[in-house]
Amino acid sequence: MTEALIVRGLNKTFAKPAVSDLDLTVHAGELYALLGPNGAGKTTTLRMVAGLTKPDAGEISVFGIDARQDPAGAKGLIAWAPDEAMIYDRLTPLEYLEFVAGLWSVDPAVARTRAEALLAQLGLADEARRRCEGFSRGMKQKVALAGALIHDPKLLILDEPLTGLDAAAARLVKDMLQARVEAGCTVILTTHILEVAERMADRIGIIAGGRLLAEGRLDELRARAGDGTGTLEDVFLQLTAEGAPA
Amino acid sequence: MSLFKPAGTLWLLAHEIRLAWRGFRAGRAGKGPGALIGLAILFGFACLGGVMIALAVHDHDIPVNPLSVAIAGLVSLVVLTLMLSQTLSASAEALYERGDLDLLFSSPLEPRRVLLVRALGIAAGVALLFLVFVTPLLLPSVLYGHPAWAGLFGVLIALALIATALGLFLAMALFALIGPRRTRTVAQVLAAIVGAAFFLASQYRNLMGEAASESLFASIARSAYDGRLVLPPVAGLPLRAMLGEPLPLLGLLAFGIGLFWLAANALGRRFSDAAAAAQGSSTRRARGVTKPVAAFAAGAFRATVRKELRLIGRDAALLSQVLLRVLYLIPLALVLARSASKVEAAALAGGAGIVAFMAGQVAGSLAWITLSAEDTPDLLAVSPTPASVLWRAKLVAALIPVAIMLAGPVLALAWFQPLTGVLTAIGAGLSAYCCAQINVWHQKPGKRADFRRRRGASWFSALAELLVAALISGATGLAVAGLPVWALLPLIVAGALVMALRRTDDQIAKTLRMAG
Repeated sequence: MTEALIVRGLNKTFAKPAVSDLDLTVHAGELYALLGPNGAGKTTTLRMVAGLTKPDAGEISVFGIDARQDPAGAKGLIAWAPDEAMIYDRLTPLEYLEFVAGLWSVDPAVARTRAEALLAQLGLADEARRRCEGFSRGMKQKVALAGALIHDPKLLILDEPLTGLDAAAARLVKDMLQARVEAGCTVILTTHILEVAERMADRIGIIAGGRLLAEGRLDELRARAGDGTGTLEDVFLQLTAEGAPA
Repeated sequence: MSLFKPAGTLWLLAHEIRLAWRGFRAGRAGKGPGALIGLAILFGFACLGGVMIALAVHDHDIPVNPLSVAIAGLVSLVVLTLMLSQTLSASAEALYERGDLDLLFSSPLEPRRVLLVRALGIAAGVALLFLVFVTPLLLPSVLYGHPAWAGLFGVLIALALIATALGLFLAMALFALIGPRRTRTVAQVLAAIVGAAFFLASQYRNLMGEAASESLFASIARSAYDGRLVLPPVAGLPLRAMLGEPLPLLGLLAFGIGLFWLAANALGRRFSDAAAAAQGSSTRRARGVTKPVAAFAAGAFRATVRKELRLIGRDAALLSQVLLRVLYLIPLALVLARSASKVEAAALAGGAGIVAFMAGQVAGSLAWITLSAEDTPDLLAVSPTPASVLWRAKLVAALIPVAIMLAGPVLALAWFQPLTGVLTAIGAGLSAYCCAQINVWHQKPGKRADFRRRRGASWFSALAELLVAALISGATGLAVAGLPVWALLPLIVAGALVMALRRTDDQIAKTLRMAG
């Protein structure tokens, strides 16, 4: 099986250790949910994978490319969408997508067609020429998601992608992510909404205190946590309580 | 007193003052005492100047005659326009700054009370600016022989109140006339023009050429000396108020307070409506939604240049600041172009040097905006585009507006004096490039909104820019004056300075990582 992401011995310390000897493997074409309580090290881990934070130690491989040796090569395959949308208030969604497509050197004609399609898919076609400054948080999130998808990434990393979205928008985004996975894209997401991970994720990783506590399919995690009948919430609470520092 | 009770005007004012004070303290946190020591030294020099003035004028009184009345009137008008420039800009910004406005307007507080306190804040800010400047110069004279001159403080306060009221009326009128989307930009541009109005008026002769035989102020002075200047009695009001005559001073203060009160009360409801509309200003449908999508830029370099030019063009505060500098450049450029048709190149040296200096300053400011005030650095960091490509694109985006701005005057100059035109273009281009490049090498991440205070945020590159621009400006002037060998000296020093400031891409990236 091709691996989309292999992380080995990843370490990062700020004032205190944020990520400690983390090992992670995400298979190509799967949707992987990284769960953990606040301050568990999820965002730091994903920022290191995206090339935004320099690890103190460890290896990161994206589709076989060593992300620390060839960051540009790895970045070309990745899209990163944090919970705070990285957009420009004074640009319109179309102008924003033009800029992002430029950053990933997407052919202008292809990018233009994709931009129109993405905005239409996300229900933003009518807002395509309005500046983002008056947009709601949900609309900004959708513009940022369109930006993440404009270069057709092989690995899509989303940090809390459903934050600030209403029910309809959340459904739209979930459907889009499922469609991407079915088309072969690998998706890694963090979320505090455990039902989302339960329903959507092929595999789930649970992280706390910068360490991976457990990883696997939902049934595997259930079996590991007890009688195999609990919800993901039960499993999550039990594992994070066991893994919490004394 | 009812004013002091919770939700009263003074209670709200105390809340605003507390927030402003804490904002000031937070802004100063982590900074050394250098700026305060510098200010104290400046204040000391100003006080010394004030003492010398007090000694010199101790036995003299200012006569009330047409000339002194005209001068006092003109000075008042200049101060009023400068204040109006500030208050118009602040009034428009008050509509868009969210801050705690939503909280205040969602509370049972009357909108006019909120506006009154906001307007008081604007008036106090602008009055303080002038009082800080005037007090050390004037106070020694007030204490030593001329206590009545304290009236000038009252005049400044009255002018600040009048300017605030006018600023509010103008901002609201703009809002009603052109809508929320354009008001912010137009108000900032208007504020810049108002701020430069008296400079432009003082350049009347330069702007009008031979149509005006002498400057505006010289003309007024000559009329006063010749006894041809007949002014209505009300024209003497500012001077008499400055000299401490009770009735004119009280009259002026009463007028200022009245106008201010009228503006705050009459506009309260409109202000809250406008502030609400400003928040949703861009929810209006853009026209031509169905028109075909224009071609996308090819590649990271072009896409970045295009994006930066769009952001520069849409930043109202930035536009007004740049416009202000351009406005100061216009008379000079006109003089240069006009003189070029009939004067020896040597006479153009000073002007050419100043054009080169201004080009460097504007390019440096724009480069700071494009490079250091990037809104989404993470987006650029996760992209596979090398940082050096992005920096070059941002540098080019900063230089394009400067090139457009200078193209007209330099071409006009080259039409009459080809060599002078070429030398000015080279000097301006070099100055602009070097100042922008310094911002590439010494990036200091900041917020776009901090543009006006960027000198404080990145004093090192600002000082370096200033020095390099001054040296290249000197070299340009000397070259235009026909002294090319002498021009080499400042050029070599500037070159050495630029080389000393140079940093590799890795060094820049390392500094940025440390800053992040």
